Amino acid sequence: MTTLSAKAAPGTALCAAEPATEPATGSVGELSTAGTTAAPVLAVRGVRISDQVTDREIVHGVSFELTPGKTVGIVGESGSGKTLTCRATLGILPPHFEVSAGSIEIAGTDIATLTPQQWTALRGATISAVFQDPASYLNPSIRVGAQIAEVIRVKKGLKRREARHRAVELLQAVQLRDPELVYGQYTHELSGGMLQRVLIAVAIAADPQILIADEATTALDVTVQAEILDLLAELREQAGLALVVVSHDLAVVAQLCDEVLVMREGEVVEQGPTSDVLHRPRHEYTRLLIAEHDQYGLEKFLTPLTPQETS
Amino acid sequence: MTMVRRVLSLTSGRIAVVILTLIALLAVLGPLLAPQNPLATSDNTLAAASGSHWLGTDYLGRDTFSRLLDGSRVSVLGSLEVAVMALVVGAIPGILSVYLGRTFEWLTLRLADTLVALPFLLFAVAVIALLGNGITQAMLVTGALVSPLFYRVARAATLAVARSPYVEAALVAGASTGWIVRRHVWVKVLPPIAVALAQTIGVGFIIVSSLTFLGIGVQPPAPTWGGLLASDLGYLSYQPWAPLAPAVLIMITVWASNLLADAIRDVSGEAGRAFVNTRKARANRLGKPDPVSTGGA
Amino acid sequence: MTTEQTQGQRSAEAGADGRAVLEVTGLDVHYGPRRQRRRALHDVSLSVAPGETVGIIGETGSGKSTFARTVLGLVRASAGRIVIGGEDVGAYGSRQWRRLRRRGVVQYVFQDPLRSLDPDLTVEESLIEPLLIQGVARQEAADRARTFLARVQLSEELLDRLPGELSGGQRQRVAVARALVTEPKLVILDEPVSALDSANRVQILQILKDLRAAGVALVFISHDLGSVAGVADRIAVLYQGELVEVGAARDVITDPRHVYTRLLVGSAPTLRSASADRAERDRLRALLHA
Repeated sequence: MTTLSAKAAPGTALCAAEPATEPATGSVGELSTAGTTAAPVLAVRGVRISDQVTDREIVHGVSFELTPGKTVGIVGESGSGKTLTCRATLGILPPHFEVSAGSIEIAGTDIATLTPQQWTALRGATISAVFQDPASYLNPSIRVGAQIAEVIRVKKGLKRREARHRAVELLQAVQLRDPELVYGQYTHELSGGMLQRVLIAVAIAADPQILIADEATTALDVTVQAEILDLLAELREQAGLALVVVSHDLAVVAQLCDEVLVMREGEVVEQGPTSDVLHRPRHEYTRLLIAEHDQYGLEKFLTPLTPQETS
Repeated sequence: MTMVRRVLSLTSGRIAVVILTLIALLAVLGPLLAPQNPLATSDNTLAAASGSHWLGTDYLGRDTFSRLLDGSRVSVLGSLEVAVMALVVGAIPGILSVYLGRTFEWLTLRLADTLVALPFLLFAVAVIALLGNGITQAMLVTGALVSPLFYRVARAATLAVARSPYVEAALVAGASTGWIVRRHVWVKVLPPIAVALAQTIGVGFIIVSSLTFLGIGVQPPAPTWGGLLASDLGYLSYQPWAPLAPAVLIMITVWASNLLADAIRDVSGEAGRAFVNTRKARANRLGKPDPVSTGGA
Repeated sequence: MTTEQTQGQRSAEAGADGRAVLEVTGLDVHYGPRRQRRRALHDVSLSVAPGETVGIIGETGSGKSTFARTVLGLVRASAGRIVIGGEDVGAYGSRQWRRLRRRGVVQYVFQDPLRSLDPDLTVEESLIEPLLIQGVARQEAADRARTFLARVQLSEELLDRLPGELSGGQRQRVAVARALVTEPKLVILDEPVSALDSANRVQILQILKDLRAAGVALVFISHDLGSVAGVADRIAVLYQGELVEVGAARDVITDPRHVYTRLLVGSAPTLRSASADRAERDRLRALLHA
């Protein structure tokens, strides 16, 4: 186990040094204001990721824990290592990248011990993800409904007819206005926001416990982005989904998350409960992100809230 | 010109340029160097190589070496003419088709389609019947027939840049169409055209020779490389090695042209810029210690 | 809904005092072949006073880029009046447009910093291009290019680099410098910061603020209210080709009138708002789509 960056805020889920056999102790309770003591569904402990070809470390130690119904946000620019961290969690690191230190536990299982078959069973059913460009994850020549139904048939073993029924239910769950119509449409007939909803429907088709949203709203219009964020918040409340929200925009993460990690050049420069990070930033880079909003964003015209109001 | 310098920085580019220069020299000086009258027949037919006939004689007793040298001018100039003709009637309308309005675009597009659809021989015979037989007419015909390739290549390359933001930026700054073509479009269109041009020079040889074979263009007693190859092939059983000399000359020229085309393609466009950058980077690294990038944003 | 819409037009005429650098009245733009003609803009009126910064907010398909392109003469209007620096350009042919553009009164900065610079031209060649088109001598143009490179905080070393050798932020600053070399009275910027990361974004926005202080009028087009809020004096909101609200930046953000503007303000993620306005957003969406 590796020690953590001294820059990271104390009082957060920095449990890298704790024995792996007893997760879900004090540190988790401390970070969540509700004080839940549920076992973490996802525990990332001191994860470092290296490029084996150039032999360089790209991610220098990331740790966080996620309990059901909670949300962790990762903020950073492109190249900060946030996407690699997500991919490591999903076991889909690009070729010649590997987790060189630390461990990742999904629902109590260390992913290093998983066989490819176990991975297949885990993905979708326990951990799932949506990414930035929804259109590229769907087949343009197959109706979107059929693609959702296929996932359901494979993952849940349902019959064709039941799968179709369930797919329409899912499209309804992601608040598409006319689920029956969307079921029979092709990707080119849907807008970016609708496609992202369809992809979220696919992601939650097998009732996962964890959903990773990696820049899932970046390419969308502001009003559509808000719709998707609202949808994620609702899924979290209704289904007890644990979310990992990754974005380059601190404000997007601030909307949803209980805990925030600020990453820069592979390093977690700041980590802590959202209100702490927003109101008492310690690292210069976090201050820059906040200052950008204060000077140039809408915040210029909005009265600053006191820390109590956000929590 | 940076493009020439870039091409010459490649080994393959240098080889191609050297060979093509030699062949150009041959075309200019060839007829003057011929040791004997290339049209003079003798009784010494189908002779083997000897001191007086370096490459032997053909079926009419003419000196093959002299005929090869004499024919080089018309062969090389012929294929060059084809290429230039295609360039003028193909590439230029191709670029202009994007700028000169819809009528011109429609007309040239249909014309290009028509030329592709025309049977080559029928068209050649028709033009010869109209304009009379001769090398110029033959080149005109072949040039016109190859031009749709140039038209399409030039048009595609122009279309790719015509709507790009930097062209619009120039437009907003008050640039005329001429300025935009000279400063932005030409550079982008040149590499693909150069590739097409180099290929056409190769194809030109084959077309000139096949036309000669049919009695179109260069008339039979006058020698060309293609014509020599064709007539030598007829006497393969008497002189199996005879077609070798014209064939090797044609082959080397076509190969050098293609080599040049490849070199141009390698140093132009995105690939070319990457190529220059890596070279620059390598030069920098040799000069000073390698600054290790820390990655990140 | 109707009352809200009329209220939305409250201050459309602010800044229109006859000396406006840009005055657009009743602009209609259609596109597509005759049979499937679609409306991109309808009855858009906006004026920009000298030295004023106007933000135009609109999402995908709102017609915001069409607006910029029409003002610059790249797209033809089907109705309406456009007056640039006192000249009515409505009936201008290509020659008259060229003459107007050569004076360098209006310049344009494109969204995509990767594609808005010719990859085969060095930074210097790109920078001096507008001046050369005006007929300025090469040496003088090069001197001026240096001045403007310094104004966007780039070092002279970059002058003989190709765009491929610059970072995204540097490229966008070169593009801004190119728009400034002719000392325009009006610069139209189409999503100038959308493709940039925070540090570069702040730098560009600061440059824009400096420009405004120097008396250059700016039209700042963006899909993101947040990036415009910090620099704009007035904000105009485009929705489905129509200008639904125009007003002082503070008013539009703190007291939006039109339903769409309210939804837009309510949707923009900020560091200050909690997710409690979800119900409000749902209500506005229902109202807007009704």
